[in-house]
Amino acid sequence: MSDRDRGAPADPNASTDPDTSADPVDVAEGRERRADDIIRRRQEERVRTAIKDELSKDDTGDERPRPEDPGPLRGALIELERVDLAFDRPILEDVSFAAFPGETLVIVGESGTGKSTTLKLILRLLQPDNGRVYVKGKDIAPLSFTEALDVRQQMGMVFQSAALFDSMTVFENVAYPLREHTDLSDDEIEARVKEKLEFVDLAPDEVIEKLPAELSGGMKKRVGIARGMANNAEIMLYDEPTSGLDPLTTGTITRLIMKLQRELNVTSIVVSHDIRSAFRMATHIALLADRTIRFFGTPEEMAASDDRYIRDFLGGF
Amino acid sequence: MPPLLNRLNDAAKRKLHSLQDYFILAWNALRFIFARPFYGGDLVQQMDAIGVQSLGIVLLTGFFTGMVLALQSAVQLQTFGASMYMGRLVSASMIRELGPVLAGLMVAGRVGSGIAAQLGSMKVTEQIDALNTLGTDPIKKLVTPRVLASLIMLPTLTIINDFVGIVGGNLIAQFYLDVPTSLYWRTVWEQIASDGFLFRFIPNDFVQGLTKPLVFGAVISITACFFGLNTSGGTEGVGVSTTRTVVTSSILILVLDYFLTQLLLSLLVAP
Ligand SMILES: Nc1ncnc2c1ncn2[C@@H]1O[C@H](COP(=O)(O)OP(=O)(O)OP(=O)(O)O)[C@@H](O)[C@H]1O
Ligand SMILES: [Mg+2]
Repeated sequence: MSDRDRGAPADPNASTDPDTSADPVDVAEGRERRADDIIRRRQEERVRTAIKDELSKDDTGDERPRPEDPGPLRGALIELERVDLAFDRPILEDVSFAAFPGETLVIVGESGTGKSTTLKLILRLLQPDNGRVYVKGKDIAPLSFTEALDVRQQMGMVFQSAALFDSMTVFENVAYPLREHTDLSDDEIEARVKEKLEFVDLAPDEVIEKLPAELSGGMKKRVGIARGMANNAEIMLYDEPTSGLDPLTTGTITRLIMKLQRELNVTSIVVSHDIRSAFRMATHIALLADRTIRFFGTPEEMAASDDRYIRDFLGGF
Repeated sequence: MPPLLNRLNDAAKRKLHSLQDYFILAWNALRFIFARPFYGGDLVQQMDAIGVQSLGIVLLTGFFTGMVLALQSAVQLQTFGASMYMGRLVSASMIRELGPVLAGLMVAGRVGSGIAAQLGSMKVTEQIDALNTLGTDPIKKLVTPRVLASLIMLPTLTIINDFVGIVGGNLIAQFYLDVPTSLYWRTVWEQIASDGFLFRFIPNDFVQGLTKPLVFGAVISITACFFGLNTSGGTEGVGVSTTRTVVTSSILILVLDYFLTQLLLSLLVAP
């Protein structure tokens, strides 16, 4: 169980970290660090490479990188910048992180720390009290309702509770985003629905006519994933996609998320309690605790951390 | 003392806020009747749920109300030897007041609670969030079809309600007072005609009797959608929203009925 079953044979106290975005010296020191520092480092790193890219290309370059500007991170697909949010009590305070194209960011944390809330902020189902949420470098707070609908369409969301429309059949649920926003023909829609259902290990012919109330919890979850993926969004948000699923299906879903990243360069933000699959699929892990990002880094960095809380959180793993 | 005042102040602000939200919802729901995309399938489904499936209770309440109205008045009318005015009495009461109000109350109980429960559970199971996420405006998809269906179906139900009520009165008139059916219906028509016409063709009674259900339909559906979409606190919250919907819309129907009557009387009679 304590055996690390990641694909890469990463040694927890190796000082030669394969990940390019990490500073090997810090990793070797293995000391606890604030998420802000990591983000700043990553930002500087990205800006440096961006400048290099910009100089090597010689297009007109409409926008110069401005590292001092507290604007959106250059190149980040999703970014939260110093976000505060309170319901009847503060939930998130000074939360910052970013996901770049093709990354899989896994958010972990205790129950009730605001992981689902964070995803809802990205979808603008909630608005932050302070701070900004950028999607593709654009602040989404001032968007009109209709513009926000357009932004959301570029993202696929898998809800913790599946959130299937209970008055519609499985087919209609998965076909919904296609019917709403594409002009695919009925045949194409049917083919796509079946393809997505097969993706999540459901036999299309058995479930397609069923209502959500007739499905088991795990099946609902998988239909929810199929619906989230239906319009091939380039950004996928998963809220505990594997909770309540058996180990085999969990493996399938984990592999699926990895496959989307590898083959289609899909950017994923995954909320998960499943440390094992988190370590398998994550390019970065964010640990949410005490209302803020307690740790942000690669799985290797996390595994190497000396922080008591992180060690406890990882448990026996 | 100041803390108490503060609390009152906050409570008042919250109330005003939700009143504002209510009117914003109403405005959007009505505005989107003319907006794309228009969810025609949902409209038909809602017209069925709101109208067709309410037909039974409306027929039943209308018929018995007409009968009891006639029965209660029979003795008095007989005392004054005015039995032949039964048709006038029943039709005036049904068309102007009882038809719209009873249909409104029945629909508030049956349909309003249903809408609030459905939208409320969609809210607490994140289906509303899911709609938003999939790029659909929940007001266009859920509220507008329900409001439009109510605007169409409530006047329709009221007409049916009025009619069976008058038929109920007819039965009582015939069997208790020996008023012939032909006389009964003639006095019904006399009553309708005696109240004057709008634009020479539309009896004022009908204007009154159909404006009211139109307003009631809007009030019921918007109230139900408002409470449904603002549900919080799990399944318990759904129950709270349902109750609030029925209570609020019933009270609004009765209060608005008074003001509408006053307004319409002054508008229709004045010139
Ligand atoms: N609509 C709301 N109104 C008030 N409080 C809320 C609301 N939504 C969430 N909360 C509170 O915010 C906190 C974070 O909720 P959230 O659902 O984001 O937790 P989570 O990290 O996803 O937990 P879990 O792992 O159990 O799903 C919780 O304490 C919850 O009580
Ligand atoms: Mg959650």
